[in-house]
Amino acid sequence: MKKFAVIMSLLLALCICSVSFAQEPETLTLLLRAGTYGEVIKALIPEFEAAHNCKIEFSEETFDDLHTKISMDAINAEGTYDVIVVDGSWKAEFIDNDILADLTELGYAYDEDIIPATLPAGIGPDGHAYLIPFFGNVTVFMYNQDLIDKYNNGVVPTNWADVLTLAQTMKADGVDGFLLRAGAGDNNVSDFLPVLKSFGAWVMNDDYSEITINTPEAKAALQMYVDLYKAGNMLDKDNIVAAINSGSAAMGVGWPGWGAEHYTTIPTMSAEGADPQNSSIYGCWFIGMANNSTHKELALEFLKEVTSAEFQQSTVEIGGVPCRESCLLNEDSLKINPNLEVVYNSLAVGTYRPFVTFWSEYYTILGPYIEAAVMGQQTVDEALDAAQAELAGLL
Amino acid sequence: MNQGLSKPKRKFDEDKAFPHIMLAPTIVVMLIMTVYPIAFTIYYSFTDYNLLKAVKKGYNFIAFDNFTKLFQNAVFRTAIFNTIKFTIFAVLAETIIGLLIAVFVNSLPKGQKVMRTLLLLPYLLPTVTVALAWRMLLSSNYGPINQWLVDMGFKDMANYNWFYHIGTAFWTVWLIDVWQNVPFVFLLLYASLQGVPTQQYEAAHLDGANMFQRFWYVTLPNIRSSIFLCLLLRTIDTFRLFDKVNILTQGGPVNTTTTITQYLYAFGIKTLNFGFGSAGALVMTILVLLLSIPYIRTAIGSK
Repeated sequence: MKKFAVIMSLLLALCICSVSFAQEPETLTLLLRAGTYGEVIKALIPEFEAAHNCKIEFSEETFDDLHTKISMDAINAEGTYDVIVVDGSWKAEFIDNDILADLTELGYAYDEDIIPATLPAGIGPDGHAYLIPFFGNVTVFMYNQDLIDKYNNGVVPTNWADVLTLAQTMKADGVDGFLLRAGAGDNNVSDFLPVLKSFGAWVMNDDYSEITINTPEAKAALQMYVDLYKAGNMLDKDNIVAAINSGSAAMGVGWPGWGAEHYTTIPTMSAEGADPQNSSIYGCWFIGMANNSTHKELALEFLKEVTSAEFQQSTVEIGGVPCRESCLLNEDSLKINPNLEVVYNSLAVGTYRPFVTFWSEYYTILGPYIEAAVMGQQTVDEALDAAQAELAGLL
Repeated sequence: MNQGLSKPKRKFDEDKAFPHIMLAPTIVVMLIMTVYPIAFTIYYSFTDYNLLKAVKKGYNFIAFDNFTKLFQNAVFRTAIFNTIKFTIFAVLAETIIGLLIAVFVNSLPKGQKVMRTLLLLPYLLPTVTVALAWRMLLSSNYGPINQWLVDMGFKDMANYNWFYHIGTAFWTVWLIDVWQNVPFVFLLLYASLQGVPTQQYEAAHLDGANMFQRFWYVTLPNIRSSIFLCLLLRTIDTFRLFDKVNILTQGGPVNTTTTITQYLYAFGIKTLNFGFGSAGALVMTILVLLLSIPYIRTAIGSK
């Protein structure tokens, strides 16, 4: 009788366990970029969990840590993360190393509402979709309206020569005319690229076979950057936004997700009359699926919903910058954030950072040289010639 | 007869085996946690191992190429110089200030417990919190320190950025590190001071020794080994300086605050070149050992 009771108890326990296991909801794990970029994705979680009877866990990382975590997890047969947020500049490296799931193979297709110019960073060499743009980050020109009114009759300069002249006038008056972002590497390289492009220079040639960072045009661009520093200051991102919004500084290169009050399209010309260039640099954030995800079906559903026009529209209220035409030019969106029109215009004619597997090494090497020139530790010629020599080793 | 002979032999073997059995778990843990990672690091330092590329393309044995690249790299040489400079200045400052505070608190007739608790607070805070708190204090926009300097008449300090000026970045990080770690030295030396026999002070007093002589001839010899322990522990810890630099300056401006660990993070971890990173880690370990040897020898000698 005792034996029978023990066996029955064990069987009962086994049944309860199996029932509870059977009802365990599927868990989707997201790896997000910290800040507004992550907030706009997190907004979907409660609704998605309820609709799909699943559980969502997430981790938010800084730019560098996000890249490292994605890479570290990619070597596992079964990944920790299902849905990953990816910077457009990592595409080549990640696709080359099979980190991203082929979304086309899983049945996904881009729709026509997504701004076409943002798509190349999501498409692989095979023409398939690997990443979907969800945050229209692109370099913009931040300014303080009161200072522009006071020193330039409300006219925002449209070329770098005019920006410099205005910044120098302000500096003479004790106001920081132009702010550079501190932090050698991705920070200062990303913010220097619009100036570089405006001068008709670029980091590499068109087929990525040659480093072109010490051309006369590139040197002229860096000289402009050095002069802009002399007419201003170098601060971290939070202080740049605070300084420009509060009026202790006037202008700077920024990104829509930073929360600046006023910004416009980045200057496209080195000086009045020069050839305009596509100097808005894309920094769009993409969302994709880890190739080693164990919940591909559910992850794909999440990707579709988080990038849908309806959801993207709803993120505008919490600081989202959609990559969809219908959302950016929507009257409701523009009422909430009038700057979205600027973003739309910038996204339409931007330039991508090179799609090369060694881009993170490229900016890690170039960053300190830009800083050295700006701080006067090296001349522009010395800095860019040395950078050229070191960067050539990456090819 | 045979049975009688075999018994003591078995007992002898058991006695011999017992300590080994007892040590076995520790040895296994040591092998897994220490020996394996070190062996792994040494092995990969001679390869071009890149975490991502290795999955598809494998990696190659490249002998001393990583080490050659390291020492040919001007930034790495700067990182070594910065690390040694930072370590020497930080450890000296922390030890001297910590010792002075410990002696002062130990001499207080009342309130030692309160002082001890208050002085320990900076050390109890996580490094990230310390770095962020100082970043806010020294912010060029809303930082109270710049504001106070402006109020004191230094008008140019309104927008001064302590972390991105070549002249101040290194010393600002140094100051923050010293501020956070002085309590550790204080605590260790304070505990050591508690053990100094009071009779020695009384005898010195009777012999007419003044305050400085009592400190020099009684206090210092008694806490000598603790001072060397502080120097050793702080040297090892400071040599690995990373969090503060990474949060506050990321090695800038112009690599003036780049430390070896910051360099390895930028060029080994971020770029996933673990072979190169392993070579750098080995060089760093050797440097720490070289710096620690004099302390260890002196500490052992004093015992």
